[in-house]
Amino acid sequence: MKRLMKKSLALVAAVVLAFSLVCAHADETPEKVTVIYGGSSWLGHYPAWVGIEKGLFQKHGLGVLFQNFYASSGRMGSLVAGDLDIASTGSISGIALMAAGSKGFMAFGTPDSYATVEGIIARENIKTIQDLKGKRIAAPFASSAHVLVLDILEQNGLDPEKDLTLLNLKVNEMPAAMHSGEIDACAAWTPHFNKLLKMPGHHLLVDDTEFSLYKKYKLGPGPDLLVVRKEFAQKYPKTSKAFVKGYFEAVDMLINEPEECAKVLMKLTNLSMEDQMEVLKDITWITGEEQRALMVDPGDFVAGMQQLAQFLVKHNQIDHAPAVKEWIAEDMVP
Amino acid sequence: MEINSRSKSFAISIASLVIFITVWELVCRLGFIEPLFLPPPSQILSRAVKMIENGQLISHTLASTRRVMVGFILSSMVAIPFGIFLGSSRFFMAVFDPLISLLRPLPSMSWIPLSLLWLGITETQKYSIVFMGSFAPSLLYIIEATKSIDPLLIRAAKNLGASKLDVMREVILPGSLPQIIAGLKVMLGIAWTCIISAELVAAREGLGFMIMNGKEYFQTDTVLLGMVMISITVMVIDVVFRKFERRLLPWTR
Repeated sequence: MKRLMKKSLALVAAVVLAFSLVCAHADETPEKVTVIYGGSSWLGHYPAWVGIEKGLFQKHGLGVLFQNFYASSGRMGSLVAGDLDIASTGSISGIALMAAGSKGFMAFGTPDSYATVEGIIARENIKTIQDLKGKRIAAPFASSAHVLVLDILEQNGLDPEKDLTLLNLKVNEMPAAMHSGEIDACAAWTPHFNKLLKMPGHHLLVDDTEFSLYKKYKLGPGPDLLVVRKEFAQKYPKTSKAFVKGYFEAVDMLINEPEECAKVLMKLTNLSMEDQMEVLKDITWITGEEQRALMVDPGDFVAGMQQLAQFLVKHNQIDHAPAVKEWIAEDMVP
Repeated sequence: MEINSRSKSFAISIASLVIFITVWELVCRLGFIEPLFLPPPSQILSRAVKMIENGQLISHTLASTRRVMVGFILSSMVAIPFGIFLGSSRFFMAVFDPLISLLRPLPSMSWIPLSLLWLGITETQKYSIVFMGSFAPSLLYIIEATKSIDPLLIRAAKNLGASKLDVMREVILPGSLPQIIAGLKVMLGIAWTCIISAELVAAREGLGFMIMNGKEYFQTDTVLLGMVMISITVMVIDVVFRKFERRLLPWTR
C-alpha cells in the first residue's frame, strides 16, 4: 500500500513537472514569429546579423528579417512609421526623433562602445586642435563624428563658423578628399577610420575618449541605441523578449568567439577577414547583464544622454532637449 | 473685360490656396496627423520667421539660386548653339544621336561619383551636377525647336539667295526662339530639381542641404520650408524670365 502510494505520488509529481515545463515553454512562445529589424553594415548591427546567421533567434522561435538602411534617420523614420519592429540607431538620430515629439518608440539597450575607433584624423603638419584654425575639416553632419568635432572645437575655444571651414562629407568620401588635399582633417569612424590612419602622412588627433561626456560618463558622442516600436513591444511582449534573448546571446558570441562571428559578418560588411577582425577587436560589447545596470534612471548612461541632448540644443542641431528618461524602457532586458 | 476675368481667376486661386492651407492647419491641429509626418502651416511659418531672423533662410536660398543659375546658364550656353547646329544638320544629328540618347535618361544624382572624382568637393562640382542634369533635356528641346521650322521657309529664303548664315540668322533663329525660350523655362524648373543632388555632398548651405539636414534631425517643418522656398524661388525666377522673354521676343506679345 505504502509502495503504491509512493508510486502514485511520484507519478503525480512527474505529471505536474511535465505539465509545468510545457506551460513554461508555452508561456515563452512568441506571439509573433517574425521580427523586422532595421540595420546596416555598421558594427552596432553585428549582434542582430550574428543572431540571424547563427540561428540564435530561431532557437527562441523567431525569424528575424534584416532590412538595410544607409542612415539612422531613414531607419528611425521607418520604425515610427510602423515598417520596422526593432532597430539599432545612432543616438543623435534617436534624440532628434525624441525632440521631434515622437512617442512611438522606446530605447532598451546600448550594445557597444567604440570610443577608440572614431576620431579626428589630420595631416601630419596639424599637431594640435589649435592648428585646425583656418583649415578645412570634414564630418558627416548629424552624426556622432560631427558632435565630436563640435565638442572638441568648443573645448579648445574654436568657433566652427568663424575659425575654420567645417564641411559635410560622408565617411566613405573622406579618404579620397584627404588624398587629394581638399580637406586637412576629418572625423570618421571604423572601418574608414582605420583606412585613413593607414594613409601615409596622416595621424590621429583625438578619438572619442577626448569627448567631454566620455570623460564624465564614459559616453561616446553618439552611442548606439537599441530601439523598439512601442506598439510592437506592448502588443508582442514575448516576441520582444525572445528577440532580446537571442540578441544578447549573439553579443556573448561576439565576445567569446570573434573569429566565428567574423566569418559570417564578412557577408554583411564586405570586409576581408583581417579587416573584419581588426574592427571587432576595438569594440567593447555590453552584455545583457551589463545593460540592466546601464539602462536605468538615475544612472550615468541616461544622464549622459540627457547632457548629449542639451549639447545638441546648444549647437543649434535640435530645437529643445527632450526628457530622455521618458523613452528609456528599463524592463526590456530580462 | 479681360482685366475682370483675370482678377476673377486670381481671386479663385487665392481662395483655393486659403482653403487648402486652412484645411491643412485644421487637420493637423485636430490631431489627425502627427506633426512629425506633416506639421501644420503655422509651424512652418514660425520656422521660416526663426530662420529669417538668424539669416539662414536667405543665405540658403541665395546659395542654391547661385548654384542653379550658374549650372543652368552654362548648360544653356552650350545647349543652345549645339542644339541649333544639330537640329539643322541631319548628318551631325545622326552622329550625336546615340550619345544624347545615352545621356538623356541619366538622373543628376548618377553624376555625383564621377563629378567628385573629376572636380572634387568644390563649388564647380555642384554646378556640374546642375549642368549635367539639365543639359541633355535642354539640348533635346532646342533640337526639336530647330527642327520645327517650316522647311518651306528655309527653301524660300535659299531661293531668294540667302546664304547658310543668313538662313540661320533670319529664319531658323527667330522661328525657333519662342520654342527654345519656352523649353528653357521648363528646363529651369528641372535644373532646380537637381539641387538636392548638387548639395548632397560637402555642402553646408543651400536649400537642398537644408532639406537633407532637416530630414536627419526629423525637422519636418524645415524640410517643408525648404521645399516651399524652392517653389517660391522658381516662381520669382519665372516672372523675371517672362519679362526677359517679352523684351527678347517682342513679336510674340
